[in-house]
Amino acid sequence: MRRSLRSRLLAWTIGGMALLVALFAVGVYAAAHRALVGGFEESLAATARALAASVKQEPKKIEVEFDEREMPEFRRPDRPGYFQLWGPDGAVLKRSASLAPSTGGRTGPAADLPRLEGTSGAAVFHDLALPDGRPGRAVVLLFLPQVEEDDEDGHRKAPPAPQPVTLIVARETAGLDAELAAIRWLMAGAAGATLLLTLVVAALVVRQGLRPLETLAARIAAVREENLDAAIPVEGMPRELAPVGERLNDLLRRLGDVLGRERAFTADAAHELRTPLAGIRSTIEVALARPRKPDEYGRALADCLDIARQMQTLVDNLLVLTRMEGGQVALRPEVVRVGELLEALWRPHAAEAQARGIVLERRLPADLQCTADRDLLVMVVSNLLANAVEYANDGGRIEVLGQAADDTLELSVANTGCTLSAAEVRHVFDRFWRGDSARTGTGVHCGLGLSLVERAVQALGGAVSATVSPYGPVLGGGRFVVRVTLPAALP
Amino acid sequence: MRVLVVEDYLPLQRAVAKGLREAGFAVDATGDGEEGLWYASGNDYDVIVLDLMLPGVDGLTILKRLRSEGRPAHVLILTAKDTVADRVRGLDLGADDYLVKPFALEELLARVRALARRAYRAKNPTLAAGDLRIETTAQRVWRGRTEVRLTPREYALLEYLAMRAGQVVSRTDIWEHLYEFNSEADSNVVDVYIGYLRRKIERPGKPALIHTVRGRGYSLGAES
Repeated sequence: MRRSLRSRLLAWTIGGMALLVALFAVGVYAAAHRALVGGFEESLAATARALAASVKQEPKKIEVEFDEREMPEFRRPDRPGYFQLWGPDGAVLKRSASLAPSTGGRTGPAADLPRLEGTSGAAVFHDLALPDGRPGRAVVLLFLPQVEEDDEDGHRKAPPAPQPVTLIVARETAGLDAELAAIRWLMAGAAGATLLLTLVVAALVVRQGLRPLETLAARIAAVREENLDAAIPVEGMPRELAPVGERLNDLLRRLGDVLGRERAFTADAAHELRTPLAGIRSTIEVALARPRKPDEYGRALADCLDIARQMQTLVDNLLVLTRMEGGQVALRPEVVRVGELLEALWRPHAAEAQARGIVLERRLPADLQCTADRDLLVMVVSNLLANAVEYANDGGRIEVLGQAADDTLELSVANTGCTLSAAEVRHVFDRFWRGDSARTGTGVHCGLGLSLVERAVQALGGAVSATVSPYGPVLGGGRFVVRVTLPAALP
Repeated sequence: MRVLVVEDYLPLQRAVAKGLREAGFAVDATGDGEEGLWYASGNDYDVIVLDLMLPGVDGLTILKRLRSEGRPAHVLILTAKDTVADRVRGLDLGADDYLVKPFALEELLARVRALARRAYRAKNPTLAAGDLRIETTAQRVWRGRTEVRLTPREYALLEYLAMRAGQVVSRTDIWEHLYEFNSEADSNVVDVYIGYLRRKIERPGKPALIHTVRGRGYSLGAES
């Protein structure tokens, strides 16, 4: 199961909120508890002190001058309070009316409150079960009765030293408990409601907050592979998401480039292979149309072989070109002696050039050298030479110039017999130079050689340009020059 | 029937030209746009087989120029471009047919034959004059029930006359439609071939089919 961002956010929000609300509720309840219980005990203690004030030490005995009518709480038949007074010797000096045998419909002996522990001088509180079974709370007061200075007769007598008496006053806690229970319920209800509201609000907030993500997902989903350049729109995206969209756009652009190159390759290959394929097919079909002499078959087969070779070159070049355009070339710089390289690369063309009366003129220093990737340099020079031989007019000339300048190597290959206009020359580096404009060369050779040169020079970190200058019809058309500038030392 | 092939890929040009020649057409071929335009403007071709991407002048420009000059030649475009837009564009510029490379030679020949017939408003591949019957597809000829064996040149002459049956066809017309540009023969050779043809198709006791119109040329027909 995939983890949902939404449920995680919700879980964390609700969990955190629940903890906070619980702490808050417990705090509020504790405060309320303390206040209510404190008030209850205060009033209990006050009643006890009032009762205690009525206990007098008289010379002979301890007198309780207490009129129960003043405190109806201890007399009422319904839910009464209780008190009991014990003398120093443990004898019960006084009971509240509610403890008397006849109270509350009870019969039998008088009830007693349990004699709870107390501390002299301080009120001590205890929970207890009241004689009628209700839960209650009691205060224990341990005190010395007041000494009555004057007796009824007005004579001053020396009273005995007062002995501590114990007074316990108990009262039911049902009201207090009910109040506390009400507060508990209130807090629980408030906490629950708060959590519920939090859930609703958090769900809304999370949904609202995640909406840009959904928008982004929808925009990403709208990207079609046929059109990777139509980027994911990032306008209106929050600052946190916009970089995601931009990164994705970068990625899509790169993918689109790669895909475009692949498509261009397949389209170019398909297109450029059609013509030689038509050539092979027609040649064979014509040859097979009727019985022929052996040498006619031989010519047809030789034609087919030529075409097959051209197609192979075309496919090889296309692959190299595509690889170079994709930047998949690793450079291995080494020192290359340009003169030797030229010598070696001219050799395959020498026979054809001689047969067609083409003169090669070389003007470059004998020690000219550069540091470059040999394979790429070979590709540049061999293609330039092949191109020059192919398009030079019979009896024309090819000039190769080379020189070192500062930290660059300049190389130019020129041939006579160019029939291109200045406007057309601009297209010579285009792959397959096609479209509606006319093209030079036969179907198979067109374009690729110089495209390869351009890509290879770029890979070597250099620049290439082509120009044509009118040379006059006597010399067989214009002079076509390709100039290559390379860094003398590859970084 | 005379055909011009403008195709810059030499092996294909050679094969197509050879195939057309062996099918009885008189074929001129060039690989250069400029030259193709020059050929097409100076001669009365029945069909032009035209590649689109050519050095010098491209095929569509040639087509536009020919149409603006009012040349009636039927144009068959031969190209590696195969999108619908390319085809529509070529046809809209006045091409009559479109064939995408690579193609079957059979199909090219059939399309060229069809265009050649259309050049003479003949839709029926079987031509007839009196009891003379010409199957243009198989290039076979019958007089009555007897098949007449003709050389390719004789057949081409007869087919051309039959296409224009009832009209007076000049020697020059015949020569231009039957002989290639580089041919060394001159228009006198037409008279020689008319002689050969008469010997093969005319039958004693049957009405003559090939008539000489003095000073103007020849005409093929059951009635003079």
